[in-house]
Amino acid sequence: MTLSKIFIVAKKEMIEIIKTKSQMLVGLFFALWFSVMSAPVVKTVDEAAVFDTFNNLMFYFVLMMGIFMAYMFSGKVFFNEKREGNIETLLCTPLSLRQIWFGKVVGVSIVAYLIALLSAALITIIANIFSTSMLLPLPAIFVHIFLVVPAFIAVAVGLLGFGHLLLGMRENQILNISFFIVIFFAFSLPKNVIGGGFAVSWIEVGVLLMVAVLLLVFVSYLTRYLSKERIVTTIA
Amino acid sequence: MIEIQDLSKKFNGKTVLTGLNFQIKEGEIFGYLGPNGAGKTTTMRIILGLLRPSSGKAMVFGGDLESNDELRSKVGILLENDGLYDGLSAYENLYYYARLYNVSNIEEKINNLLDFAGLTQRKSDKVGTFSKGMKRKLGLSRAMIHDPDVLFLDEPSSGLDPEAQRMVRDLILHLAKEKRTIFLNSHDLDEVQKICSKIAILNKGTIQAYDKVENLRNKFSNPVFEITLNDAVNAKNAFDLLQSLDYVSDCKPDGFRITATLKEENYSKILNELVSNGIKVEEAKKLAKSLEDVYLDVVKEESS
Repeated sequence: MTLSKIFIVAKKEMIEIIKTKSQMLVGLFFALWFSVMSAPVVKTVDEAAVFDTFNNLMFYFVLMMGIFMAYMFSGKVFFNEKREGNIETLLCTPLSLRQIWFGKVVGVSIVAYLIALLSAALITIIANIFSTSMLLPLPAIFVHIFLVVPAFIAVAVGLLGFGHLLLGMRENQILNISFFIVIFFAFSLPKNVIGGGFAVSWIEVGVLLMVAVLLLVFVSYLTRYLSKERIVTTIA
Repeated sequence: MIEIQDLSKKFNGKTVLTGLNFQIKEGEIFGYLGPNGAGKTTTMRIILGLLRPSSGKAMVFGGDLESNDELRSKVGILLENDGLYDGLSAYENLYYYARLYNVSNIEEKINNLLDFAGLTQRKSDKVGTFSKGMKRKLGLSRAMIHDPDVLFLDEPSSGLDPEAQRMVRDLILHLAKEKRTIFLNSHDLDEVQKICSKIAILNKGTIQAYDKVENLRNKFSNPVFEITLNDAVNAKNAFDLLQSLDYVSDCKPDGFRITATLKEENYSKILNELVSNGIKVEEAKKLAKSLEDVYLDVVKEESS
């Protein structure tokens, strides 16, 4: 029963995000834009470094794209719901606060992850167009994309959702701007991460996976500090 | 059914509700009145478990809605916000809440409610394209999707045209006949007067009046008497006389008609006074006291 309620919330959030055409178009545009802008880098590096560069690109950009989408959709799902006051009605349903939070995290994470997967596919296709040899991700990158990326997306959605529910409207705007600046800065880093003789291995992927799991536990623990009173009194 | 005991609430040391006590029984329509900022919404939020009381208790079915999921499934709410998602269609909104409340026969239930709201033709349209009145009606349908035993309605008729207001009133009365309990938070005194069996008037965080509408009318409002004279001379004499009487608190002329507010209910005494002074009265009648008079008296009394 508990899980089914969580999935009812998650499904509704997914439908609402997908039906908000402007938001979906922006998400898809960014996936395409960053893939088109980043993937041709394989053409500019030495033949010997192409494979590493491609994997580094997949390692970094897919993760960042997922987190960026998490940021975009969390605002709609948590912040708007609070600003518009619908959260009060939802809090009066037979769902617990944690079920509501968790359902929303699952719903947003799935859509954000699908767009991250799309950007992974686009990067692979575009990189192969610009490369003379066939480029496929390393097994470690596959694990990264299928485990680490969704875990970090869930962490980002969970943290942002927690912040949106906990904080007042003004603090939330500051949170949104701060998060956007961090993401913007992170997107401008790839030259240092992707090039420079660095090659992603199982170690990096393993460490990130552990960090993601720890963060998920931490975010889940943080929700203990949420209360209906806190949410309701920070609406206006 | 709903029991409020010594309920108080403070926000950052500021008291917003003080020692509220009232009970609402099964099948009652309870009107909760008060000026803006009196604490009506805060009271409702405490009962719904959205806020914790600083002291006292707010119980529904003998329990606390904040911690009891099962109890919350027996309660329907329509707050100031309709609780609808603009990006979803009317059908999808109702379907979502129906699933959350684990409603059986979802299709039939949704179709009946869309029919009630007059939105069957627009069930696939996004709620964001609806007018305020349409959203209000859909919000009311949403609140009833799980056949709740208790309904909390905050200004349910707000934004509705007269026909829809009538429909909502009839619906509330129908629900009460089915032994459902209604907590109605409203500024529409006419609506409250027509449908509520009991009311409480809240002002500055305390309940100033709590009783049946009829009892409050008798208790709080000063008796009003209207006399019609046959000519201007008589009207002037009557007005002068009424103003001089110590048991007449207010006197308003309107052509040959005078409305007098009495300090005590003594209509025969006033008539005798007029006749004995040679004033020819064409018509004299007691005016029915409206809930608005009671409300204004209560709120004014407290303010002064």
